[in-house]
Amino acid sequence: MPEIFLKNVSKHFGKVVAVDKLNLQILNNAFLTLLGPSGCGKTTILRMIAGLETPTEGQITIGNKVVFDSDQGINLPPNKRDVGFLFQNYALWPHMTVYQNIAFGLENLKWEKNEIRDKVKELLSMLRIEAFENRYPSELSGGQQQRVAIARTLAPGPKVLFMDEPLSNLDSKLRMEMRAELKRLHRDTDSTIVYVTHDQQEAMTLSTMVCVIDKGRLQQYAPPLPMYKNPANVFVADFLGNPAMNFIDGRLTEAGELTFGGLRARFEPFNAVTLGARDVIVGIRPEYIRIGAEGPLEATVYSTLPSGMETTVKMNVNDISLTSVVFGDVDFPVDRKVRFSFNKATVLFDRESGRALARGALTIVS
Amino acid sequence: MEEVKARNVALNRLRGRATAWFSKPANIILLAFLVALVVLTLYPLLSLLTETFTVHAGREARAARQSAGEFTLYHFERLFATRENDYSRIQFYEPFVNTLTVSLAASLIAILFGGTVAFLVTRTNLKYIKFVSAVFTFPYIMPSWTLALFWETFFKNVNIGLKTSNGIMAAVFGVYMPEWFVYGAFPIALVLGLHYAPYAFILIGTMLRNMDASLEEAATILRTGRFRIIRRITLPVVWPAIMSTFLLVFASSMSAYSVPVFLGSPVRYYMLSTKMKSLIDSYPGQAYIIAGVMILMGMVILLLNQRVTGSRRQYTTVLGKSHQIRRIDLGRANAPLAILLVIVLSLVAVAPLVTFALESVIVKAGDYSLSNMTLDFWVGTDLTRRLDQGDSTGILLNPKVWNALGYSLALALLSAFIAGSCGILVGYGVAKRRGGALANTVNALSFFPYLMPSLAFGAIYLAMSSKVPWLRGFPLLVLVGSVKYLPFASRSGLNAMLQLSGEIEEAAVITGVPWWKRMLRVIFPIQKAGFLSGYLVPMVSCMRELSLFVLLVPTSNAILTTMLMQYSEKGWAQFGNAINLLIIIVVLLVNFIVNRLTGASIDKGVGG
Repeated sequence: MPEIFLKNVSKHFGKVVAVDKLNLQILNNAFLTLLGPSGCGKTTILRMIAGLETPTEGQITIGNKVVFDSDQGINLPPNKRDVGFLFQNYALWPHMTVYQNIAFGLENLKWEKNEIRDKVKELLSMLRIEAFENRYPSELSGGQQQRVAIARTLAPGPKVLFMDEPLSNLDSKLRMEMRAELKRLHRDTDSTIVYVTHDQQEAMTLSTMVCVIDKGRLQQYAPPLPMYKNPANVFVADFLGNPAMNFIDGRLTEAGELTFGGLRARFEPFNAVTLGARDVIVGIRPEYIRIGAEGPLEATVYSTLPSGMETTVKMNVNDISLTSVVFGDVDFPVDRKVRFSFNKATVLFDRESGRALARGALTIVS
Repeated sequence: MEEVKARNVALNRLRGRATAWFSKPANIILLAFLVALVVLTLYPLLSLLTETFTVHAGREARAARQSAGEFTLYHFERLFATRENDYSRIQFYEPFVNTLTVSLAASLIAILFGGTVAFLVTRTNLKYIKFVSAVFTFPYIMPSWTLALFWETFFKNVNIGLKTSNGIMAAVFGVYMPEWFVYGAFPIALVLGLHYAPYAFILIGTMLRNMDASLEEAATILRTGRFRIIRRITLPVVWPAIMSTFLLVFASSMSAYSVPVFLGSPVRYYMLSTKMKSLIDSYPGQAYIIAGVMILMGMVILLLNQRVTGSRRQYTTVLGKSHQIRRIDLGRANAPLAILLVIVLSLVAVAPLVTFALESVIVKAGDYSLSNMTLDFWVGTDLTRRLDQGDSTGILLNPKVWNALGYSLALALLSAFIAGSCGILVGYGVAKRRGGALANTVNALSFFPYLMPSLAFGAIYLAMSSKVPWLRGFPLLVLVGSVKYLPFASRSGLNAMLQLSGEIEEAAVITGVPWWKRMLRVIFPIQKAGFLSGYLVPMVSCMRELSLFVLLVPTSNAILTTMLMQYSEKGWAQFGNAINLLIIIVVLLVNFIVNRLTGASIDKGVGG
């Protein structure tokens, strides 16, 4: 069944390199997310796999079929690739009713009339939009349009589904709801999904694999939770997680002593690695900074953002500012002193290259 | 006590609401234009209606055996139900059918030609796209009779029509075209279709360009063939633009006057417009009925158009982020197609100019040898004695021509200024109060003059002006020009306003900027190009307008177009051709200068 391979795929727009020699293997049944800031090339990658954009060079395989190969001059049109595509703006045809929109793809496949009717009815009820069968897209809300678009994409039963930021036009409540639906859909349809988003939370919560892209280059390719724990570099570490990871410039000595932000600490890597003396960036996740009545360190509260379930605290220690997350409905008075401690996992990055060096425990010396 | 208090409260509320209503400039503007437009469009329409039931002095009164000013049904009876000598058939039913046929055919030609080229330019990798889109709007900028006159002068011969002389085709190439090809329905529809094809090109092209590519991509993914996509997705989505084009071309063709005069009248092929002109002097009552029929036809099309575009299938084509459209590769057909287009467009745009230039320098018609050529008709003196024809001086030395040019320019500038400014105000008011009853009424009224055939419009204002002593001559022309071209200006004003988010003005309101300053310093500069197009279209149109002014222009101070008509009627072909060329050059020059200076262009103003 459809595994997707990208081999050295590049896309140039004039002199701009949108995608640079990308290699990617997407396993069957994966829910792969292409994650990155806007303009990083993720949509271009998706459109190249779907056949809506022609790569400058490289090879793309879907299943056992080579759909694009610059060297052999192969370029299958999108309609021959047996894929489904969900557009960010839904791209519903304004002149067709909901029913006609969904049935259109099946008509192209020369299905029998009653077969089409049955399939459309099935999809309408599956996505709970039976009531809107005879409406035109402009008469639907954003969420309803989204469901129609999904139904239309699913109708011909494609084994590979491409989704280009499909939830970004919805309000946040609806977005949460549709996320759950999409995840369920992935299970129920037994399909491979390639999903583009700039929302790290969407990527974390939905996917089986995340592929972080920046400036047209692959940054890291891993399942979401391991990636969260073990980011490959500063970019990935910064992009994943909300609130974002704390980054503090520091210096590591040969002996493993770490100085940063006026603090002295010992760093013990979890895995045995030799790090050597170098300039580093210390990366600490906000949830690993614990504020409490006790703790070896003291900070001044700068600002707090209580959400009920958790409170984000921005605080200053010496010259550095740290972000911490405290769970529960607590709040702290601004400009007061609080005590805190660092909790186990910290990631060290090489300051020059930005690459992750090691994960380890941090113990404050003074 | 309680009662008085309650009444006071109610009064205060009412006063408060009224103050709030009048504190919004949009409301005041709309109210003012409602009054003005009722006077300037509804009143003329009503007076046209009453004229159809009134006996007019002269032949009409004698024929109706009633005295002038009396109520009568004679005009209707005479025009619609007179079997004697086939009167009704010749005077009304045949021209009516001819009008329908020609307008329908012209609309189809315009949509097919303009739409196809728009598709090629926006959706395929056709060569010479820049040239094609630049030259395509040419025929619209030129006066509509240009092509007609070209057609006649090029193809006429001594066997057909007025049988006066041979055109270039017969004289130079020895090919004598049949009558149906040179005169009548076929050439009229073709010429009108070509003249109005830019409408289709601009309207359909804009829609195609703005259409979200993902609509087509979604169909591609669902395994739709290329032609099926065009038929089932692209065409339906641009359907409103096609319908708008249809409305514009049909209404324009229907009331076109100069083209059927040149290509129809010589073989007694009449349309309603030419029939109306021939009836208006002797039987004005019947002429006004014909005008009414034409207005009615225009309204029917407008209603049809609204039913199509105003339906549930709301057409928002711009959806969100859009990608570059994949242009269809024309492959081996590309070069031949492109070259064919370039040739056709050059013929349509350039050949008339060459022909007019040629015709304006030959002494004896039909002889195109060098020895028969002279520049006398442009710069010669003492012509009446030497060549035994026409005016005594060439047109460039004739003060009357320069006078007419001055009048034409002044008329165009003034009308454009008034129409354009009013258009912006109407656009502002309608956009601000969008959907309200007042806004809808003003919007509909401001489009109304478009549906009035120019000739009928002129006729009504002529009748009206007899009651208003100061409204004579030049001021009358300016008024008629302003009102007639308000639809174009208000369309582009409205389009420009709709593109502007309300917050932009509100940001200025919050800081206390007065309304006039918001208009001049905030709104106008942002949408400059769109607004200026609202000035440009009326200007260019006025410059080359004939039928609107032909009844109103006093012979003493002619404008260029009526002068051309006078020369044509007198049979002074060379002078006519020279003036024609002069008009085209001036129009092109004005268009070019305005476009260069301000970025405004005709295509932004044709919003129909």
